[in-house]
Amino acid sequence: MLEHLNAGAGKPARVVVIGAGGFVGGAIVEQLRRDGVAVLGLTRNEIDLLQDGAAAKLATMLRAEDGVVFVSALAPARTSALLVQNLRMAEAVVQALASQPVAHLVYISSDAVYADDANPVTERSYCHPSTLHGMMHAARELMLKSEVKAPLAILRPSLLYGARDPHNGYGPNRFRRLAEKGETITLFGEGEEQRDHIHVDDVARLVGLVLAHRSRGTLNIATGNSTSFRAVAEKVVGLAGKSVDVRGTPRQNPATHRHFDVTDCLKAFPQFRYTPLDEGLARAAQSGAKS
Amino acid sequence: MTRPVIGFAGLTHLGLVSAVGTASKGFRVVGYDADADRVREIAAGRMPVVEPGLDDMARANSASLSYTDRLDDLAACDIVYISTDVPTDDRGQSDLSGISALVGRVIPALGPRALLVILCQVPPGFTRGLPLAPERLYYQVETLVFGRAVERATQPERFIVGCADPARSLPEPYAALLGAFGCPLLPMRYESAELAKIAINCCLVASVTVANTLAELSEGIGADWSEIAPALRLDRRIGAHSYLAPGLGIAGGNLERDLATVMRLSETAGGDASVIAAFVNNSRHRRDWALRIVHRHVLAHKPSPTFGVLGLAYKKNTHSTKNSPSLALIENLRPWPVRVYDPVVPASAAPHPAVHAASTPLEAARGSDALLIMTPWPEFRKLRPADLAGVMAGRIVVDPYCVLDPAAVRAAGLIHLVLGAPASADSRRL
Repeated sequence: MLEHLNAGAGKPARVVVIGAGGFVGGAIVEQLRRDGVAVLGLTRNEIDLLQDGAAAKLATMLRAEDGVVFVSALAPARTSALLVQNLRMAEAVVQALASQPVAHLVYISSDAVYADDANPVTERSYCHPSTLHGMMHAARELMLKSEVKAPLAILRPSLLYGARDPHNGYGPNRFRRLAEKGETITLFGEGEEQRDHIHVDDVARLVGLVLAHRSRGTLNIATGNSTSFRAVAEKVVGLAGKSVDVRGTPRQNPATHRHFDVTDCLKAFPQFRYTPLDEGLARAAQSGAKS
Repeated sequence: MTRPVIGFAGLTHLGLVSAVGTASKGFRVVGYDADADRVREIAAGRMPVVEPGLDDMARANSASLSYTDRLDDLAACDIVYISTDVPTDDRGQSDLSGISALVGRVIPALGPRALLVILCQVPPGFTRGLPLAPERLYYQVETLVFGRAVERATQPERFIVGCADPARSLPEPYAALLGAFGCPLLPMRYESAELAKIAINCCLVASVTVANTLAELSEGIGADWSEIAPALRLDRRIGAHSYLAPGLGIAGGNLERDLATVMRLSETAGGDASVIAAFVNNSRHRRDWALRIVHRHVLAHKPSPTFGVLGLAYKKNTHSTKNSPSLALIENLRPWPVRVYDPVVPASAAPHPAVHAASTPLEAARGSDALLIMTPWPEFRKLRPADLAGVMAGRIVVDPYCVLDPAAVRAAGLIHLVLGAPASADSRRL
């Protein structure tokens, strides 16, 4: 549950986005600029968190009145080496914030911190990651909670999609690219697994709200509506307007589903509306076609 | 022997109803409370709690009922019940300081052979630790049900009595008192009786949680729980009176207290109480059912609606709002205008900056885009859906307890959303 330290929405003095070059970080920077917030976007060009001296360098870029969004990660962290590197990046941020405290910290985590069978997922569901990627986020959350003095908001998005997603993982982004090329979409089993798909712009808008309210605590970012991969694939094919085969394969593993109880978000931001999946997929298809 | 005189220390909801119920069985009753104003109001017939039948029963037995704020008046009693409230915090933890202090004041005021009976919800081990000779000290399970308290106090199914030595007969005055109610008597160790009270509540919560879980599933798969529950009640292993009506989580404070007690004791004793934690989680999930419905069926289509809310009390026939799902809902409707009506609870209890206090249910419904019937007060059953449709701006009626006739609601052109039933197709087309 989030607690708003600002009773009403205000404008942060400045927001520093660590990881501004990424899919999510870029969307956050764009959203904040649209909202008229002063933003310092840091990409790997400005600060490489794995380099020696990164913490000291980052500290020089921060001010006491800043809100900081930490979204930088080497994701997905599928190997031990990537896990350790991600933790070292977080260590640099922790050290920088120790020498230069800030007003507010927002960490973009992941719903991978939860157990696979935690249904419906709430912010109070146990963290029991089944992947190194989930454990990486869980460990980073704990590092920040333990050592950063600024009010901390941890946001845990579900599966993200958007035109500029660089990952080509199983889901809307890969389906869209295949559909645009007229290639067959191959499902695991019959694509029965239901997931809660989030448009990246919704993450950016929620980050804006969290910064404006100087919120602290934990919030899942999920719409509360889960959809099967087959249904997503068929929607994407419909939007592409091409004849694309959506093909099932023999199921190798039992189908698992993920649903969210999003009541905490309804309470934290009652007037926030998630982008409906049909609308978000259409937006991604349009943007993808333009790019 | 002459009939014993019975005292009740603490004229709370429990104490007052128990005192009046005991007087109705032909006993002289002394009701004590340290709050002189409260005693004066009760003595004048102005009851501080709302319970069907209480006022009439108190009037009918006024000759054998006396109320006092003087501890010394308890000296005339053969049996004194400790019947004060044991408040709980947000986590359901009991604050025992009040009852401990009251017991400390009452014991010196007792007659030399008078018995002391603890009637409040206390954790196992509490009674045995009190400084009174065991042969004069008892614990009695109360099964007060808000809204049905008079019936429960005068027609109990059984008495569960905690004793130092259950093999010994109860003292004559106590046996005479309990015998007047004509129900089975089950003496047992103090700790067993204290846990029996908790066990009853855990069983009730288990039933309610099963009902809530399967009602939610019914909503999701097109079943209707109201068709299923009667079938379960005809099963002898489940029972005609089992708690199978779905609700908006557990409220009122007492059930929550017992769940917290079991979790705490099990943690200390090393037992597995994970099922109890699951009850608590499910309760929390279901309490917000109406909020999720409002967002899905109203706010997703109309960003600036007006809401009408009928009922603020946590259940019908009570003034209590402890953990009320209605107040929890209204608190999360702060960005929008809310019009409220409750037969007993004032609108000022609603945690909302701009709530409109309506003087009738129809006035609360007037101009609302969605009407939410959050407490199943009997008077709401008399509302005619056609009248509601005539004054409402929108068509949504959120009626978790199904107090309105679904066919009449549909006939009035309204969309009826109830616990345990799938939303009608037209609600998704709004």
